Amino acid sequence: MELRFKGVSKQYGDVLAVDNVSYSMETGVYGLLGVNGAGKTTLMTMLCAVTRPTAGEITWDGKDIFRLGERYRDLLGYLPQNFGFYPDLSVSDYMMYIASIKGIRPDTAKKRIKELLEMVGVSKYKGRKMKTLSGGMARRVGIAQAMLNDPKILVLDEPTAGLDPNERIRFRNLISGLAEDRLVLLSTHIVSDVEFIAEQIILMKDGKFFFTGTSEELTSGMEEGVWSCTVPSDKVNQYMQKYPVGNVKHVSGGVELRLLSKTPPSENAVREEATLEDVFLLYFGEKAGDEDAEI
Amino acid sequence: MLKFEWKKFFSKGINKVILFVLLMGTVILGFVPVSRVQYVDVDGKKPTGITRITAGHRLVADKNRWQGELTPEKITNIAESYHEIMQRYQGDYPETEYGRTVQSYWDIVFWASSMYTTDIDGALANMNRLAEKDIAHIYDAYADNLQKMAEEYGNTPEQEKFLAEKYKEIKTPVAYEACDSWQGMSEYIAFYSLILVIVIGFLTAGIFEEEFRNHAELIFFTAKYGRSKAVRSKIAVGMLATTIIYWAGIGILLLISFVTMGLGGFDTPYQFEYPYSFYVITQGQSYLLIVIGGYIACLLSASVTMLVAAKMHTVKLAVSLPFLMYYGLIFLSRPLSKVTNVFCFTTDVLIDIDRALRHPHIFQIGNVVFRQVPFVIALYAIVSIVLLPFIYRSYSRFDDAKLPLKKQKQYARHSPVR
Repeated sequence: MELRFKGVSKQYGDVLAVDNVSYSMETGVYGLLGVNGAGKTTLMTMLCAVTRPTAGEITWDGKDIFRLGERYRDLLGYLPQNFGFYPDLSVSDYMMYIASIKGIRPDTAKKRIKELLEMVGVSKYKGRKMKTLSGGMARRVGIAQAMLNDPKILVLDEPTAGLDPNERIRFRNLISGLAEDRLVLLSTHIVSDVEFIAEQIILMKDGKFFFTGTSEELTSGMEEGVWSCTVPSDKVNQYMQKYPVGNVKHVSGGVELRLLSKTPPSENAVREEATLEDVFLLYFGEKAGDEDAEI
Repeated sequence: MLKFEWKKFFSKGINKVILFVLLMGTVILGFVPVSRVQYVDVDGKKPTGITRITAGHRLVADKNRWQGELTPEKITNIAESYHEIMQRYQGDYPETEYGRTVQSYWDIVFWASSMYTTDIDGALANMNRLAEKDIAHIYDAYADNLQKMAEEYGNTPEQEKFLAEKYKEIKTPVAYEACDSWQGMSEYIAFYSLILVIVIGFLTAGIFEEEFRNHAELIFFTAKYGRSKAVRSKIAVGMLATTIIYWAGIGILLLISFVTMGLGGFDTPYQFEYPYSFYVITQGQSYLLIVIGGYIACLLSASVTMLVAAKMHTVKLAVSLPFLMYYGLIFLSRPLSKVTNVFCFTTDVLIDIDRALRHPHIFQIGNVVFRQVPFVIALYAIVSIVLLPFIYRSYSRFDDAKLPLKKQKQYARHSPVR
């Protein structure tokens, strides 16, 4: 069971969205991290056989996924970043429709839908129209539809985008539970989404992979140290210009900063253990994810 | 799959509203022929209020006093009666007389007058001189005129022979039964079809647009059958919905007509209304041809709009095409068909079959002579079906690389196409 892509590029006019990436994935959770516009979604749509690469090849167990066609899509579960649905269908009818286009027999589909809706916690809303669901509820239906065919390859593009912190935790646990005996590719720009559940992390920037490995390998590979120091309020800007700053916290006597530096940034600086958030800050030059991602 | 695609189609709020409005419009249109019935009772009174609804039945019953073969003897009696009334009232008979006698046979007098001339205005002008004609030989005069028509409109020996053979199929004496309900319905089918081609075009285009409008295309195309059976079921729903909506509408119109006027006169020859038409059919058959033309127009509208929506992923251009294909062309083709034959085969003819049946458009390829109506119906029925694989191909082979660059870049910026 291997999903491999070799020399894959995707060009849209003058935009090189994905630039000659190669990788191989087997079972387990893979976290694809990068800022918005890094090329994650384009790569995912190619892995889901929606978009053809401009160059390179994508294979499943050695066979071209575009040639495999239905046989490949039968193995696939996909939750796109912008999860679109049919607003006037009820949750139950929506799931039945998706089951039908996934080739699941109606009697099997009914049982599976019941299980999945219970699993994602929306079974009591099965009669409601999709358009009446909250963003979080719809997202849960989104993951349920991706799981309908018990896919060997589960591709989740920004699955926690727009969710509140509680839902985000619930979702992460849900994904973690689904990861057994299948390949889960999780794309996000929110570090905390992948930090705890992804076995392998891929950092993507400007269409390229510039790091692949475990969370530990990522943090241990950092040349910069992570420092915590308290500085006077009027010097915060100076520090922010000089160092990549992760956290800014107002405390009595000044402002506490968490920043990256090869040398101690001040006399009172204390060395901290690096996290994936710090790696993200180092490589992408910005704070990881959005504010509510800090969980 | 078909069941849920069907459910999707009918669950859409906009579709429900459109179908409800269409239903209301159909019912209203169904009563229009009733409201236009010109019936006068023996007291010379016209029906008012609720009694108008049954006026059609009374009119048909009155006319059916003359039901049966229109033999020269029967026509002579009618012509003499009409002549006598015209003489007595010096051409301006009162409503009471009209309700008692003239109403029942006015159509027959006009038809009989047409036997002696191919000119409608001439037939109208000669109605009160019908009694002066040699009615005993009315069908001979008619046969002579048919021969003249064959000679006039048959531009080649083959065409002339074809027309002569068609005209020979006309059975005389003409078997008469009042056919006002079929005539009334035929008048409004073209208008109704014009509405339906637009409505159906809009509804069916939506089937292929909704994935993109709702940003559901990525899930659709990554599903096992998202590029095969699911696309076929979309096409099937489009054609099925077209069929059901169209025939349900026609069924409602027929039902209203049946209740208010009856459906008698199905077998009355079309030549009773248009004596020189070379379509030797009955009134009922002419109605069926008109509705079949409308049905093919709707199928074509569905095929074209589905194809464009499948290709463009939007209904904006798709829904404007039926306007062009039918509304636009109908105004162009009427005058231009006299200049070039091309406009005798345009799509608008499908919703204007009633007119095409009356006009002697005849064509020839090699030695094969053919008429406009069956050719146009067959041509566009085939086109409607031939387009289906292209719809399938366009949709099932979705690839963002084929999209306009602007939309491709939207993909590159991590968002599905809006």
